Amino acid sequence: MHNWLEPKYLAWLEQGFLVTLMLSACAALCATPLGFVLAVARTARTGAIARGAAAYVFVFRNSPLLVQLLFWYFGAAAVLPPAWMAWLNTPHAVTLGTLTLRWPSFELFAGWVGLTCYTTAFIGEEFLAGMRGVNPAQGQAAAALGMSRYATLRYVILPQALRIATPPLAGQYMNVIKNSSLTMAIGVGELSYMSRQVDTESFRTFQAFGTATVFYVLAIAVIEVALVLWQRTGVRTLQRGRV
Amino acid sequence: MNGFDWLPALRYLLLGAFPAGPLGGVALTFVLSVVSALLAALFGLAGGIALAMTRGFAHLALTVVVAFFRAIPVLMLIFWTFFLMPILLHVDVPGLATVVCALALIGGAYLSHSVYAGITSIGDGQRQAALSLGLTRWQTLREVILPQAVRVMMPSFVNQWVSLIKDTSLAYIVGVPEFTFLANQLNNRLMVYPAQIFLFVALVYLLLCGALQWVANALLVRRKSTRLRASEVQAGKLMHELQNCR
Amino acid sequence: MKNRTWGAVPAALLTAFLVVGSNAAHADRLDDIKKAGVLRVAAFDSNPPFGFVDPKDNQITGLDVDYARAVAKSLGVKLEIQPTNPANRIAFLKSGKVDLVFANFTITDERKKEVDFSTPYFASGTQFIAKKGVLKSPEQLNSLRIGADKGTTNEQQVRAKFPNATIVAYDDTPFAFAALRTGNVQAITQDGPKLVALLARVPDKANYEISPFTISNDYEGVGVPKGETRLLDVVNSTLTHLEADGEAAQIYDKWFGPKSAAPLPRLFKIGDPEKSS
Repeated sequence: MHNWLEPKYLAWLEQGFLVTLMLSACAALCATPLGFVLAVARTARTGAIARGAAAYVFVFRNSPLLVQLLFWYFGAAAVLPPAWMAWLNTPHAVTLGTLTLRWPSFELFAGWVGLTCYTTAFIGEEFLAGMRGVNPAQGQAAAALGMSRYATLRYVILPQALRIATPPLAGQYMNVIKNSSLTMAIGVGELSYMSRQVDTESFRTFQAFGTATVFYVLAIAVIEVALVLWQRTGVRTLQRGRV
Repeated sequence: MNGFDWLPALRYLLLGAFPAGPLGGVALTFVLSVVSALLAALFGLAGGIALAMTRGFAHLALTVVVAFFRAIPVLMLIFWTFFLMPILLHVDVPGLATVVCALALIGGAYLSHSVYAGITSIGDGQRQAALSLGLTRWQTLREVILPQAVRVMMPSFVNQWVSLIKDTSLAYIVGVPEFTFLANQLNNRLMVYPAQIFLFVALVYLLLCGALQWVANALLVRRKSTRLRASEVQAGKLMHELQNCR
Repeated sequence: MKNRTWGAVPAALLTAFLVVGSNAAHADRLDDIKKAGVLRVAAFDSNPPFGFVDPKDNQITGLDVDYARAVAKSLGVKLEIQPTNPANRIAFLKSGKVDLVFANFTITDERKKEVDFSTPYFASGTQFIAKKGVLKSPEQLNSLRIGADKGTTNEQQVRAKFPNATIVAYDDTPFAFAALRTGNVQAITQDGPKLVALLARVPDKANYEISPFTISNDYEGVGVPKGETRLLDVVNSTLTHLEADGEAAQIYDKWFGPKSAAPLPRLFKIGDPEKSS
């Protein structure tokens, strides 16, 4: 094991992997509800809201994530008032009992914002595809029964839409993990950044990149396995006659 | 932007140092995208057909390879092809080629998956009808399945190509002078206009990707109507012949 | 039978390819350069005055580029510049994408294991820039967030000497300076001359100052691929000749002389004995 990588460098890589997982989890957690809101906005009756949501999706899906991250880190920082920047840059800590939550560094914050905005656009499209995938007859039947639009959405359309959307959603979560590698360009100490760091210091290129690749593939594989398990249990409950 | 000569800067961003140096900027992004897209389409078709035609161990091995390339972040693959390929193969590979290689491999893996899904989505009846008419497996694939499957797969291809245009921006990390790299260079020189520069960069990419989607939509809608009729005629012919054989 | 031949043909091709490829690697780099007629050099593109893009003709120019041009002239070949940042320098050299590195490349024992260095042609020390009045003595460093460039000796030195400091590594100096400007880091570290040149070109230079202390003595040389002794000899003899006929002094004057944007007295000449750090 010693010949593969020194323990010091392995520790750096593990730390980077934790940052990757944490960043991806935070981005995915925020992007999912926001994406849902976006999808609902896209189907809104009011033209302005629907068009605005469509414009958001167009802008954030068709520009590279790297450019968006550079914008959030450099551009937004230059545009925000200095007082806000000072607050964002000082370390704040909130202690809840035994847990201390520390405000993240600015690059982590910018990386999280950039990743969330980008992922929201894609997750919104998956939810939209899910909603569109529900048979229109369902909506018509609900209307015939006298259900309001909100009740239709909540009890009839959305449960089915969510089930249709879950596999592509899992795909998007895998993408979040892969996209988090781009935050290295703005200095976030995640796995790709650390692998580069280990490479420049130890010159063990193959080992550094190899270990990082293994970590990424592992994380993706876990999500893939979770999806397969979900599909299997989903099928079994359907076969048993429950919905 | 007072006192700032933006015309030569704009020309630099669009063309790089060409012709006094290598091609760069938006022109290079365009070239990178086109070459990678063509190679990815090639890999994707080959991989998808291979997935559909193989069984057992070869099929499993191919599935694992495709899954690997879909699981690895693009950035990591660029690191691999850029830093390690020349050391392992003892051959000097220009920076551009390594980026094209990485993008084509990943694009090809995603497209293999889509092509395979497209091929299997064509009803088994078509395949069985063709086989019972005496066509070989390859002839079935070429004459019956693929023409119909391509229609199903085209949106996937367009999506992947749009992703590819965006992923060319990652060449910045390894020093290839494409658009994002040059914009960053310019930002480093000017220092005080980061928001404007990166908004402009985003706008250009929006134009490139939007243009591709618009062209693809225009072409697909037109072809869809003619292809639909052609394949329907084909399918009808096959069924007619089958019935007559009885 | 068909499967066996099918497997053998690509295997044979691959082996042949690898053998030919490996043999090609053992040819001398100097001969390759002369045969190709081109010397490929990695130089900075965002670090004035060592290597930067001249806005008038969009070509990379600078002190390192002038030295590289002299070497290319003595070899009788054209010069081709590959823009790089500190993080990519060694990778470019080791993967054979460039023949030499002229990018303010500090000589260290660790690096000597991977690449060969020419005789030093520049000397500097690691210094810091901070907002005015923030950084006055080295002890403060342990409590600050410091921006550094990935893959530089400055980053490694600060990490070694000030273990409690938080170091954020960026791809290049302008990135680090942007972070300093937005308050993301409180100080950035680089070679003294680079910081002097950087400060001279910054639009709001009145807000920043270079702290009056250095934490090391470093020497920069040309990066040469390991084992290419003939190429190394050519580079060394070119550098010594440049010093002997005064051209090295002229190059220094052009970028750091009294009429330049960031004047610095020339304290180190090519061939001077090195002080220990």
